[in-house]
Amino acid sequence: MISPCPVRGKSLANKEEAPGKPPRFTKSGRAGTEFGMVEFKRVSYVFGSSWALKDVSFTLEKGGFLFLTGHSGAGKTTLLRLLYAGLPLHRGRATVAGFELHKLRRRHVPELRRRVSVVFQDFKILPQRTVFENVALALEVRGVTRQHMERRVRAIVRALGLESKSYTRCAHLSGGEQQRVAIARSMVVNPKLILADEPTGNLDADLTTDLMNIFKQFHSYGATVIMATHNRTILNMVPDAHILHLEQGQVAETTLPVEQDEPHTEGLL
Amino acid sequence: MLRFLRLGWRGLREMFLHPWAQLFTISAVTMAAVLAGIFLLLLHNVNQELIRNRGAVEFQVFWREGADMEQVRREWQRLAAMDHLKEMETFTPEQALEGLSRDLSGQGALDWLEEKNPLPASAFLAFNIPPGDHSEIWAKGLLAELRVLPDVRAVHYNPVQMDLAKSWLSVSRSVIWPVMGFLALVVALVVGNTVKLSMLTRRDEIEILSLVGARPWYIRAPLLASGAFTGLASSGLALGLLRLLHLRLEHVLDFPPVFLVISFLPMEHCLLLTGVVTAVCMAGSWVGVRQ
Repeated sequence: MISPCPVRGKSLANKEEAPGKPPRFTKSGRAGTEFGMVEFKRVSYVFGSSWALKDVSFTLEKGGFLFLTGHSGAGKTTLLRLLYAGLPLHRGRATVAGFELHKLRRRHVPELRRRVSVVFQDFKILPQRTVFENVALALEVRGVTRQHMERRVRAIVRALGLESKSYTRCAHLSGGEQQRVAIARSMVVNPKLILADEPTGNLDADLTTDLMNIFKQFHSYGATVIMATHNRTILNMVPDAHILHLEQGQVAETTLPVEQDEPHTEGLL
Repeated sequence: MLRFLRLGWRGLREMFLHPWAQLFTISAVTMAAVLAGIFLLLLHNVNQELIRNRGAVEFQVFWREGADMEQVRREWQRLAAMDHLKEMETFTPEQALEGLSRDLSGQGALDWLEEKNPLPASAFLAFNIPPGDHSEIWAKGLLAELRVLPDVRAVHYNPVQMDLAKSWLSVSRSVIWPVMGFLALVVALVVGNTVKLSMLTRRDEIEILSLVGARPWYIRAPLLASGAFTGLASSGLALGLLRLLHLRLEHVLDFPPVFLVISFLPMEHCLLLTGVVTAVCMAGSWVGVRQ
């Protein structure tokens, strides 16, 4: 069993924040303290002359699990990139982990990313560094002490079955192991929101099941998860998850509660 | 502060994660710096030679016949302490006669004049022209100063030489520095682009650090440190190579009638080269991260 916070149970999403205070938004879009909830209101994004997203609205409560589905080019990755401020939000309003993206200033992006962990299909790990170093990276940037960092990294690496490979360079690991390293790096900070962009895209069926179990376990400890996938078989692995199906940048179907005045209320999956 | 030092140290350690890329970068930067150094060496030596041969104004001072030599020697001591004096040669009447005799037809040709030596005490003075636009006034002032020395009969000075020296200095001052500035710009562009390209090898690292919430200074500090290291190492290597080249070529032009001994770059030029290359490497790292 994986503990969401293997050592002390304290989130490192932003260690400067004091817990328990109500949300507090500023003009800069900087966070308050309540997070884990995503709210999109009529968000659009244009690449050149084509709409990558058009009038997307949804609300995901804290602790929810959401699958973003749709064909390639439907807008799943664009939506995820907006969520971690990988793209600037120009149209619409969005709140992610306590940050108002439409007001977010460049200097506050690192703070947002300390609350939101991202797992990619291509892993985005440093192949020349060891498993330990890759996982520790997320803690290093937060200024966590060496001693504390070692305890947390060892715990998460053990939990994900990578203990024997701790000091192996990631270039020498299999695809499944590399993805587990990427997940370990995301989870070691005990984030409240996990974004995953086709995390099982490069893995076989058995590894896919293993990784989905890992996500489910973190979700069961209260993390909010948004996972983009076009693999419909994994939707059944999380029965209580919501689904948001995108087609040509628009919400085609969703199981999320939708506000009355929104244009995409045709039906549920 | 400790954290910055730690990040800097990390930057240096991480350079060796991509040893080949770093090696190629340092080689490319070193080559650019060597080329710049060769130009600098050339300019420095041309400039030195111009100033040595053309940038001075000469005076010949003649004392009256039978002037008190003790007095004349005191005057010579005073002249030797004058500002901008580059070279001074003095001749007692005996030395002048000996020199003339030697030049005319060999040792002892004018020995018969020893009893009634008609030559006066004299001095040859060469002054560097001071910077500024008032060199004419300065030369006239100097001429007047020399003429009123006790027992001085005549002072010879060629105004055409003054004009020529001024022209050479003007060429030296108006050409050398713009050329050096242009050279610095070329080196900056070459080195900056090389370092920026080397940042491509660390693009993934920068992206990942950004994704896990690293602040800009956390990403930049190690890269600036490695940029500084690249600059220092490259300029050090370049200066070493230049010194080797200089040792080989130092006396290559030291033959008649040229007699040119190539001198190495002065300390301020070495520091300039090191500073420019290091600063540009750091700037290249900074810009590379931004992009």
